[in-house]
Amino acid sequence: MSLLKPFSRRPALNTATILLVEREEEFQQRLAEVLVEETAVTLNVRLAKSLPLPFENQHSRPRIDLVVFIVNLTSELSLQSARASLKYLDPGYFLGKVCFMATNARNAAVPQERLDTLRGLAASLRCTLLFAEDQTADGATNASERLLTILKVAAGLVPMTTALYLSNLTMCTVPSNTNEVDFD
Amino acid sequence: MEAMQYLSESPDSINSSSNDQPVSNRNLNRSQRIAEKEKRKNEAEDPFVAAVKYFSDVEAGTPVMGNDVFEGNLVVVEKVAYAEGLPPDAISVMLEFAMSLRMGTSLCPRVLKCLIPATVVPQDAVVRAVAWLGVSKIPISTQVLFIKWVLTVFDMIDAKDQLRAIYGFIFSFVTEENLCPFICHLLYLLTTKQNVRVFRIRKLLDLQDRLGKQPFLLHLLSLYKVFCPELVTLSVPSRMKRGFRNHNSPWKSALAFVQKKNSAAIAPSAGVTLTIKDQSNRRKRKHCHLELPVLTCALNKESQAELSSNRKLVPLAHLRSFAELLENMHRIELPAQMGSLLSTSVALHYLDCVQEESALLRLNFWLGYTLREEFLFCRDGGATQNSDEALQFLNRLLCAHQFLQEGFSSSEGFLYKFLTVWDGCLMRPQILGLLSNIPVVPSYKMGQLLLEPLKQLYFTSSPFFKCGLLECLNGMLRNWLTWHSVYALEDNMDISISSHTSIYMTLSGLKDSVSQLVQFVDHLAVVGLQLESCHSLLLNFILDFYETVCDMFLKYGLPLVVLPSPGVFYPALLATDPVSVDRLAYIMHRYKVNLAFAKSQLKITEAFRISRQTFSDFNHYVVDMVNFLWNAKAFQSGVNVQLDEGILQRSKVPECSTSFDLVYHPAFMSYAIDFHHKCWPERKELDLSSIKHVKPWSWYVEYLFSQGYDGLELFKRTNINRWQPVKGDKEDSGTMQL
Amino acid sequence: MEDQMKSLLRQLVRRIPIRFLKVTLEKWGRLTVAQQQNIDFTQTKWALADELIAYSEENRLTLRHITELEMIYVIDNPNQGMWHAFQLVDPESDAPAVELMQFKEQFKSHLNELVRNVSVKMKKNTDEAVWIRIAWGDSCSRPNNMRPTYVVHYLQTPYVFVTRLTSKQKTLLSQAMIIATRHQAIKDAHLSGRNFSAIRDLLMQEYEQVFPAKYPSALVERNQIAALPNIEREQAEAEVNRLQMACEAFGGGKLPQLQSVVYKLETKFKDPSNQTFTEREKPFNCVVTFTSKNLLESLRHCASSGIASTPITPLLSSIPRRGRNYFVITDKVSGPSSQINPTV
Repeated sequence: MSLLKPFSRRPALNTATILLVEREEEFQQRLAEVLVEETAVTLNVRLAKSLPLPFENQHSRPRIDLVVFIVNLTSELSLQSARASLKYLDPGYFLGKVCFMATNARNAAVPQERLDTLRGLAASLRCTLLFAEDQTADGATNASERLLTILKVAAGLVPMTTALYLSNLTMCTVPSNTNEVDFD
Repeated sequence: MEAMQYLSESPDSINSSSNDQPVSNRNLNRSQRIAEKEKRKNEAEDPFVAAVKYFSDVEAGTPVMGNDVFEGNLVVVEKVAYAEGLPPDAISVMLEFAMSLRMGTSLCPRVLKCLIPATVVPQDAVVRAVAWLGVSKIPISTQVLFIKWVLTVFDMIDAKDQLRAIYGFIFSFVTEENLCPFICHLLYLLTTKQNVRVFRIRKLLDLQDRLGKQPFLLHLLSLYKVFCPELVTLSVPSRMKRGFRNHNSPWKSALAFVQKKNSAAIAPSAGVTLTIKDQSNRRKRKHCHLELPVLTCALNKESQAELSSNRKLVPLAHLRSFAELLENMHRIELPAQMGSLLSTSVALHYLDCVQEESALLRLNFWLGYTLREEFLFCRDGGATQNSDEALQFLNRLLCAHQFLQEGFSSSEGFLYKFLTVWDGCLMRPQILGLLSNIPVVPSYKMGQLLLEPLKQLYFTSSPFFKCGLLECLNGMLRNWLTWHSVYALEDNMDISISSHTSIYMTLSGLKDSVSQLVQFVDHLAVVGLQLESCHSLLLNFILDFYETVCDMFLKYGLPLVVLPSPGVFYPALLATDPVSVDRLAYIMHRYKVNLAFAKSQLKITEAFRISRQTFSDFNHYVVDMVNFLWNAKAFQSGVNVQLDEGILQRSKVPECSTSFDLVYHPAFMSYAIDFHHKCWPERKELDLSSIKHVKPWSWYVEYLFSQGYDGLELFKRTNINRWQPVKGDKEDSGTMQL
Repeated sequence: MEDQMKSLLRQLVRRIPIRFLKVTLEKWGRLTVAQQQNIDFTQTKWALADELIAYSEENRLTLRHITELEMIYVIDNPNQGMWHAFQLVDPESDAPAVELMQFKEQFKSHLNELVRNVSVKMKKNTDEAVWIRIAWGDSCSRPNNMRPTYVVHYLQTPYVFVTRLTSKQKTLLSQAMIIATRHQAIKDAHLSGRNFSAIRDLLMQEYEQVFPAKYPSALVERNQIAALPNIEREQAEAEVNRLQMACEAFGGGKLPQLQSVVYKLETKFKDPSNQTFTEREKPFNCVVTFTSKNLLESLRHCASSGIASTPITPLLSSIPRRGRNYFVITDKVSGPSSQINPTV
């Protein structure tokens, strides 16, 4: 079992690398296309269906600064796959270099329990949980903008702050109970 | 004779019989006779009148098959119906004809499908048809079709009092399994508080046991619960699958066509209406809840005048002005679709001043449901979410909020849920707008409902989102303060924040909420400035917020003074743009005025106690500000910013302490150079230190003030007591003494 | 006869959407140019039908002409109603030699032998398909032209597609078909759907097939258009493999728009936690239906994106391989795994 390690390689100058893990491999492609439009830094996007990553690519793979698990909430498999992939990450990643991105959260087909599970998972790992609108172009642009905000910090490109500091501010919390919505 | 009668039923035979008439009427006045003849002729020439007459007279048991007369007449009626709609009396006749099954059951659906009202549907006809439902053997599918028709034309029924009177009778049909969903919808539209009875609730609960948790039963029950919460103990799930659908499909296009045609004819009179916006040619969507129905009522004013004598209720749609609303306040009839209330200002006026809560309850009920269905549990996964419809809907809701100057409680509940799954971009202006209108949140709930999701969004988003959110929170704070200043009762310090949301909050509760909000924004501001390396746009939005905060006491009467953190104060003081420094000076000036007022009040009553720490913090800020800008003694007071000498030396800036006074401050340097050129145009080399001499210094300061830096001027006036002309002397800042 | 013609024409006008009506009438060519130009297509269907009836009477058209109009419309818009596929088996030696005229003659005469009152009309389409319209009657009633059966047969192939056929008429049609095409028997192909061209293409395998290859170059190229330099797929190889497998199973390119597949399970209930059902002797019957706008493409996507595991289970790959969309699954007598029972 090969763990993906956050500091196994030296960082390149003014470069950030993001790994998008999505079981369905749909949103990640679009997201990647928007992400690489960023010009201020050299941005590498790696796409994967799940972890672990194939051993063959190990040498060509740059240091990965941020791992994003894209979870499609309409599919239980998507959540399970993300959960199964987590164990292939070095614990060092959980100091602010992992985040979850949920899609389809507003879909009627999503059971509340699945969303709660994902929230619980993100909260227990002290990770950030972002929500994204994967159906629209605006949604993809916005999602990539937010990922860039986190990635730049995680890659150490923003002075005066660290990934751990940012993730402390943004990490997911589990609300005790906001489910009851009164009609009055 | 048989043949004769048969003939007289066909349209052209009336013509011939009218020709026979004069023979028997010789003794009639001639002119009268001619008039009579003329009239009959007109009638006879109008095949439609004849056709309707045929249907009102046709005997039971007349065969349908091969009956060309019947076929012809029905075609005539259908043609008129689809082209311009049927007049009320024709509706009555045709409905009676169909429901009485005079010519069998097979015709009923065909006739029902062509019942397109041109103006109104007479209530009597509907009541009679409902009665037929109980008497004759109408096939169940036809019964369903009839109820669907009633639901479709519900807003065109000229009065509902008699329908309400037979509520119990209609209710009895819920046991019919196939009719139940539609009957429930009809009952939902008719229910008033008096109709909610224990035995009916029990019946519905029985049905629910039998049929399972059907959405139509749940909706009716939850409406009952809204009216009589003490009678319905059932817990309604937060998420109901699907409400009442629109059943207008068989009539939709024809109805729309007829209405469009008819409204075009009476368009000029619509100029007076206060409708916010009328929409046309919307995209069709299945199960669309977002279409705000235009407040319609088929009655036009003339017919209303005729009917007003025997009608007690006035539909809201007829009221054109505020004056009319006032006159009819006690007998308003609410429309079937509560959503239409949002679209006209008269209706909003009504909501604002009506005492009885049922209108607001129903509106909230509908709104909460719609918002949840359309934005939280979308069927298509939100693909169409950015559509114009959704935006227009939210914009209109926002307009209504701003008109009423308060939010609906259902939209508040929706926002709390929406924030937890929001991506921060979808309909951002609308969501932030709605958010700034929410009523005061009790401080114990605020963290979880509001601040936590906002924090997660804020720190992961672009600086522009950060600015937007700060502006929204500024608006929220201003609204809360405004409500406080409007509703505060001076004697007992109790305020009721809003008449409708019925949140009663003590002054200390409000103070807790406000200070929690301010502290939260302060936190956002400090870290935001750090993350975005003092983004100057962000700084401006932060200063906007503090302009509201510093005046809470004087402007809104809330005895609370919260100072900005050093993390906001110093970035603003050391900002590279003069505007930020100037605004900071203005804010400090307002703090000073507020604190001075608080101090003077303190002598009168103990209630306005401001903590000693606040005064002390304020003093430190003022001392620092004067030291930085006027005394050229930056980093020397050492209370808030303690910098090691070594660090300052390592920066290799000569004379660090003087580099932030009004001359060398990066924000004002250009003014200093400009001033230097104006003052000593003959000088070749720049010597900014010469400005610091007594006379040029006072000129320079005046020059700055003349450039529009009023904040600095005000700050100087309130905080600096005297000015020592000797360079290097300490300037005395007007610190506050407690 | 006149009445039947009128009511058939009325029914046709009601059925054909206005936007197709003009083209269909032009193709029909039984109205004069002036008449065609005179027709007001904005009026109601009822009035339109009146006008057409008047023209037909003027031109002395008969029922045959009206059925011709119907055929033109149906051939152009076959996706109405359920189409069922049948397959002719055991061809006789002279089966490949059957040509149109012979088939026409044989079919008509045999059908007329079986049923007295039947009216058959045949038309050969451009794509070698013979379209047969059969209006059935029985010994005491005239052929009912209001509910005709449509049969499509591709000469020299064993495939027959039928819509609107009752079980009684099925035997008659089978008889006539077998004899006219020189086959021994006809059997149900267990393929049906509303989209005629889809079931035809599926059964006759008229779509791009992909065969196992060592270097799946074409597929890779198709998959990697618009690859940006800074985007790297970590698991690209596995992905290509999956796509290859999926295409081998379901075909490449555009697939026939099959809309549903039905599995009828007659297997024993197996759930260790539920003793009562597991111990039952009788099989547990249930029906599983998959529906989609384009089922085959959905399945291919499922397989290529890894939602369905590869290699693809024969339960799914049998759909295109055997060209059917109705399966009965029974327990293997000896083994625990389920199998697809070839004979239903």
